[in-house]
Amino acid sequence: MNALERHRKLTTIWASEKGFKGWFSTVNHTDLGRMFLVTAFFFFIIGGLLAMLIRVQLATPHSAFAGPEIYNQIFTMHGTIMMFLFAIPTFEGLAIYLLPKILGTRDLAFPRLTAYGYWCYAFGGSMMLIAMVFGIAPNGGWFMYPPLSSAIYSPGINTDFWLIGITFVEISAVAAAVEITVSILKYRAPGMSLDKMPIFAWYALITALMILTGFPPLILGSVLLEVERAFGFPFFQADLGGDSLLWQHLFWLFGHPEVYIIFLPAAGVISTILPVMCRTTLLGYGWIVAAALALAFLSFGLWVHHMFTTGIPHMGLAFFSAASTLVAVPTGVQIFAWIGTMWKGRPELRLPMLHLLGFFFTFVIGGLTGVMVAVVPFDWQAHDTAFITAHLHYVLFGGFVFPIFAGIYYWLPHVTGRRRFFRLGELAFALVFIGFHVTFLAMHWVGLLGQRRRIPTYAPEDGWTAINLISSVGSFVLAIGIGMILIDVILHVLTASRGRRNPWGAGTLEWAMPTPPLAYNFASLPHITSRDPLVDQPDLAVQLARGEGYLGTPRNTWRETLTVDIASGKPDMHVIYPSNTRLPILMSAVTGVFFVSLLLKFYWTVPVAVIGVTILVWRWVWGLGRGADLAPLPIGHGITLPNAGMTARSPGWWGSIFLLTANATFFGSLLFGFAFLWTVAPGWPPPVWFDPSMTELGAGLSGAIIGPIAMRLAKSVNSKGRSSITGATMSLFGAILVAVASAAMMWRTPSPVDHAYGATLFVLGGYGLFHAVLAMLMTSFLIARIVRGFTSAVRRAEFSIIGLWVDYTSVIGVLILLAAHLPGVLQ
Amino acid sequence: MKDVFRILIAPLVWFASFSAVYGLHGLMCGHEMSGVVFGLPLERAYLVAAYVCAIAVQMVLLVALYSSRIASPSPFVRFVSHATGWVGLIATIWSLVPVVFTTYCG
Repeated sequence: MNALERHRKLTTIWASEKGFKGWFSTVNHTDLGRMFLVTAFFFFIIGGLLAMLIRVQLATPHSAFAGPEIYNQIFTMHGTIMMFLFAIPTFEGLAIYLLPKILGTRDLAFPRLTAYGYWCYAFGGSMMLIAMVFGIAPNGGWFMYPPLSSAIYSPGINTDFWLIGITFVEISAVAAAVEITVSILKYRAPGMSLDKMPIFAWYALITALMILTGFPPLILGSVLLEVERAFGFPFFQADLGGDSLLWQHLFWLFGHPEVYIIFLPAAGVISTILPVMCRTTLLGYGWIVAAALALAFLSFGLWVHHMFTTGIPHMGLAFFSAASTLVAVPTGVQIFAWIGTMWKGRPELRLPMLHLLGFFFTFVIGGLTGVMVAVVPFDWQAHDTAFITAHLHYVLFGGFVFPIFAGIYYWLPHVTGRRRFFRLGELAFALVFIGFHVTFLAMHWVGLLGQRRRIPTYAPEDGWTAINLISSVGSFVLAIGIGMILIDVILHVLTASRGRRNPWGAGTLEWAMPTPPLAYNFASLPHITSRDPLVDQPDLAVQLARGEGYLGTPRNTWRETLTVDIASGKPDMHVIYPSNTRLPILMSAVTGVFFVSLLLKFYWTVPVAVIGVTILVWRWVWGLGRGADLAPLPIGHGITLPNAGMTARSPGWWGSIFLLTANATFFGSLLFGFAFLWTVAPGWPPPVWFDPSMTELGAGLSGAIIGPIAMRLAKSVNSKGRSSITGATMSLFGAILVAVASAAMMWRTPSPVDHAYGATLFVLGGYGLFHAVLAMLMTSFLIARIVRGFTSAVRRAEFSIIGLWVDYTSVIGVLILLAAHLPGVLQ
Repeated sequence: MKDVFRILIAPLVWFASFSAVYGLHGLMCGHEMSGVVFGLPLERAYLVAAYVCAIAVQMVLLVALYSSRIASPSPFVRFVSHATGWVGLIATIWSLVPVVFTTYCG
């Protein structure tokens, strides 16, 4: 088969549907990455326009431009859009577009999940925009503190839009994080051991793991606040055993890592582009990986530094102040590694490099003001002033927007296959840089003079007029600069001439393919021997196009790739991807019905949506697996590999591990909330304790023991080629017992609207019931698969996956039942 | 997966011990205690003991990560796991040092 025949056959197999219809059925990472990025930048423009409105309002004292109610919506939506609908999705889009290409594979681990995540993002984001158009947008600030955001002080639907819309969008973030984690760990080119991974992949991996552990506390907080608003469960009401500080803990447990979730991908972009712009290699690769890991972990120990003024004891403040100063060290390691890279290379001031220099200048200032506010006495003075607003913009614009602009200009030739023709970009950079610093240096100043953040107006005698006017003028210069970048990019896409492959002379794998990229990325998969494959093998692209790598001969109509051992990069599984389908968009639409029903309080449609999602998920997974055993398949170079469905640790198992990691963080946050209210909130002990029942406790614990044991038995019997229906049925029985015990707990818990104790137990019971029902559905699915002949001694992947969920249900079931029954027993 | 574990273990233990000491501090401030141990108020003694334990665990981890029996065969993973091991130890010493100096429930 020659290169052209191979290309034609692969294109037939991998191509998305042509035209407009293809948007709705594509599961291809290149398409979805582009869709994510375009949508994210659409939201960036909306968020930017809102920022302009804020600056118009503050340009003069006693401004009549917008009243306080509209102004509250404007600044809330500005923050919300930039954090949730621009920054995180931009990372997701970039990672989804880029990772398979730089890792030397053909797609991400779960293509349909990528599509589902995109549509959840698009629908959830649209909900927020619709709210804004109708003047009912969220208005409590982007961190929605209760009691301001409670039903008493914010009775309208505005806050519900935030709580429900953001939770909907976060499905997308968690889906993408699972996808990215499994893809980086398993879906790499053969030979790409951990030390040969492109640096961007390390950053994306760390960021994805942070999303999995950082987002669940906010999802939990949003659920609890929405339940309080809708049903009156008093989680955050101090007079009924709740505590509004619990929200702050949950929010900032997410909110501080969020800053690094935004910065680290940008740091990955810098570490990728900088060496190319300096004609050298990255200095201190290992140190940078270690520093990024350290930064990720330390960022989870800083959340209270947003709460220094809440009256927490001095020692608590000191813990978080110390940890906050510590993050400067790994950040410094990265900055010095980048400076060292520039020092040893020959920097060329091309457009991406200009934006990188903009990053250095801006981010270092943002980092230094960060150290200032980490010092408690200074923070007490500067808290909730415009100084903080200026600091966070230096960190986020400097640490994310400049590097992303660098990334756009760097990878634009890859996306379009064209070279830049117009030269607006350089002028645009100058305007953005000058405009940004004028705007936010002034904002630091006016903050130190005492201007509070989020105020709708001020008086002339405050003495802030001239500074605010300067800041507003700067912001318009910044907006003109960003508008010019947009025009530059559009002109590039529409009019520029064809460019050559790898215009920057980079060493990473994304440039070893024709541009714009083909649906299948590589005609055959490379074998990697170094961190810069294109430097060591300049003709690699040609070799791959000739089919000299792995999987060079298309087989049947399969979309094939392979996975590797995490550490060594040795090939270990053969994977067949699903093809184009509208299932993801359909499922996200039905998921949307669930959220909109909650929002509009049409509770009768909630079960309809839940049943709809259940049916669609069932259909989704039923299409996986095979009805007959598949022998190990040759992948080229004399290697044969088992298909993923014939292994115990299939991609589904890996995906479940990381989804359960996020789930366990959610559950851990719920237990933390319970313990926090119990020990810190006023109004405890509750007037009535849960009445323990040895029957319910015994039944639940028995179910928790039976389920996992029976599943192991089923797995063992199956591996011997015998029928495993008995074991699977016993496992189902175990899950039913846990479900009954959890439901009984919810039924008998003290009134959840009278005290936070009852409310928390009700939610814990609900969590247990949800997982028990999930385990019941999964084991029922397994029984159906056994009956229909989808399992055998070789086809065993589903036992391992469902076993994980049964184990998890048992562990949380035991903890929930003990949390409910033990205090009553001990009274 | 073992290599990933080697890299992550020390910072994970730091986060667990940081949260545990913060939780212990919250618990003690929520429930008044009295008594003296080795000339120290009971609250301070508990906190310092937890601090010392946290440092000891980190030191054991660091030694383990350097031992040939537990260290990764990959030089790169060995380097990164040593670095994160030191991060865990230093972060524990630095971020929990307030238990020695600061007023605990003021």
